[in-house]
Amino acid sequence: MRRDLRGALLLLLTAAVQSSSMSAPGKPVLLSCRSPEKETFTCWWEPGSDGGLPTTHHLYYERERLEGTYECPDYLSAGRNSCFFDKNHTSIWVDYYLTVMASNALGNATSDPFKMDVMEIVKPDAPENVTLQVEEREASPCLNVRWMPPSNTDTKSGWVTIKYELRVNKDNSNNWKEYTSGTQTHFSLYSVSPGGVYTVQVRCLLDHGSWSEWSNTTFVKISNYLQNERPLSMLISILSAILFIMAGLILIAKRKSVKQWVLPPVPGPKIRGITSQLLQSGGSDDVGNALIIKQSFPPIYFVWEDQMEDYLIVTENEDWLSSISQKRKKSLIPACFHFDSEIHSKKLCGFSETCGKRNVKHVDYSRVKEVKGDNVLFLEKEKVQSSGYMDFQRQEGIPEDYSRVKEVESDNLVVLQKQNAADMSCKDEGNHYTDCALHKPRKPVCTELSDSGYVDTIPAPPLM
Amino acid sequence: MAVCSSVPISDLLDRASQGSDKLHALSTTISQDLNSHFPPIGRVIMPRPSMCHTSSLQTPSDKQQALQVSESDLLSLARSLLQAWSDPLLMGPAAQTISLLPFSGGNDIGQDRISQLINFNFLLSCFRRDSHKIDSFLKVLRCRATKTQPQMC
Repeated sequence: MRRDLRGALLLLLTAAVQSSSMSAPGKPVLLSCRSPEKETFTCWWEPGSDGGLPTTHHLYYERERLEGTYECPDYLSAGRNSCFFDKNHTSIWVDYYLTVMASNALGNATSDPFKMDVMEIVKPDAPENVTLQVEEREASPCLNVRWMPPSNTDTKSGWVTIKYELRVNKDNSNNWKEYTSGTQTHFSLYSVSPGGVYTVQVRCLLDHGSWSEWSNTTFVKISNYLQNERPLSMLISILSAILFIMAGLILIAKRKSVKQWVLPPVPGPKIRGITSQLLQSGGSDDVGNALIIKQSFPPIYFVWEDQMEDYLIVTENEDWLSSISQKRKKSLIPACFHFDSEIHSKKLCGFSETCGKRNVKHVDYSRVKEVKGDNVLFLEKEKVQSSGYMDFQRQEGIPEDYSRVKEVESDNLVVLQKQNAADMSCKDEGNHYTDCALHKPRKPVCTELSDSGYVDTIPAPPLM
Repeated sequence: MAVCSSVPISDLLDRASQGSDKLHALSTTISQDLNSHFPPIGRVIMPRPSMCHTSSLQTPSDKQQALQVSESDLLSLARSLLQAWSDPLLMGPAAQTISLLPFSGGNDIGQDRISQLINFNFLLSCFRRDSHKIDSFLKVLRCRATKTQPQMC
């Protein structure tokens, strides 16, 4: 009866338990262990299901060269579901075998064994106190990075060897550049440019173990004003630039006078009254006038001293006497000028006697004997060529027959008697000496050299 | 008569530390590479064939112990470890050569691939451990010898 009651109760309890799905705990799993400084270590596990009942976990370990099974010395320091092994319980270069057991009212569950050696699980903390310092250099700035090793590592006895690594990115891009620092706790970055925000992180490892996490981000902005921190040189360069510009402007404004100063013009021959304008625009008349009149060249009178005596007028015209006598007073022979063909010569002869029908010859200044005043040249006697100045003027047709000399006036006038027979025809026709071109007293002519090159004769202006 | 100027012990230890650092780096890389081919669970439950052949050497097992050992003892420990690994580390194709390795069992490690793999993995773990010991000891010694240069520690 009691057995039946017990059996019934058990059945009831089992039924009750099963209906509320309570069970033994599930199997926990050991996740990992880690030693941050090669002196202690921590292990973590993950519990399985708790089976609906309060479940406790225990970690047990065995160790190489150590007899027995031991339980975890510290469940609390490292947090939930962990076991912390302090220095006294940590040995290196020996294998640990760990297991975790979960237990509740209904049963236990044991994890798979976890074999580890402290040597294999070394992973330090991240380096601390990462500082960035911008160093302003002449050409380009550089970034000095400094940091401290993680505080729990021993750097004094040589028990651990810490190696560092750092990474940099510019302006928060995902492009990190990594550098190895070895065992130094400082590093200099040279490839930095102003105006950028640089982010630096450092990590470390111990003895060829695992790398730590990256340190906290440290960033710095390298400002552009670094380039302006040399105000003096900037000021000097600005001032000199302004000076250059001003000098350039002045030069441009005064370029004409500068050009004159640098390249002074070669003075050309200046004839008063003749300008390029006149030459271009004026006719030959104007040029000639300008040359003669405006130059205030006085007409040059050539005087042949010796020839004065040779000057002989042979004529039959008695009227000449008076006119020539007047002229004799002067006893000066104005010359005609002959100009170069470049300047078109004009009627330049003001006076008649010496002008021949043909071209007037150049005055040969080598024959100048004496200069009187500013317009009288005494020339030496020279054999006058046929095309030159006539030393005498004879009326055409009058033979050189001095048998009919009627009168000799002064020293250069010979008047011949009129011929009778030969002249009668001429006279008979009245005073028109039409056919008697021979008799006709020709007025002294003056040549005029026209542009065409022909020589025309025109009546001379009345004698003075 | 030529006189050799003596090299300071700190320089010698620095040079030795650099060598042991490289050795430990290499052994770590190889071990990790080999372990990556095993699933984590398989690695955990892999039985240890035996103890490392150098386990008879009494070496310090934490920092406190290590710092208490005298320089000469530390140095001789490092030297012994190195000597233990210089001779027997013969990797030959024949299984026979591998059997020369310091197995307490002294048997053939086996012809099958899995056995070879397990034993080789074990060998590498021993080597990695011992190279770390050598490296740690020498660096402790170097730090002690260069008290004036804190950057050596």
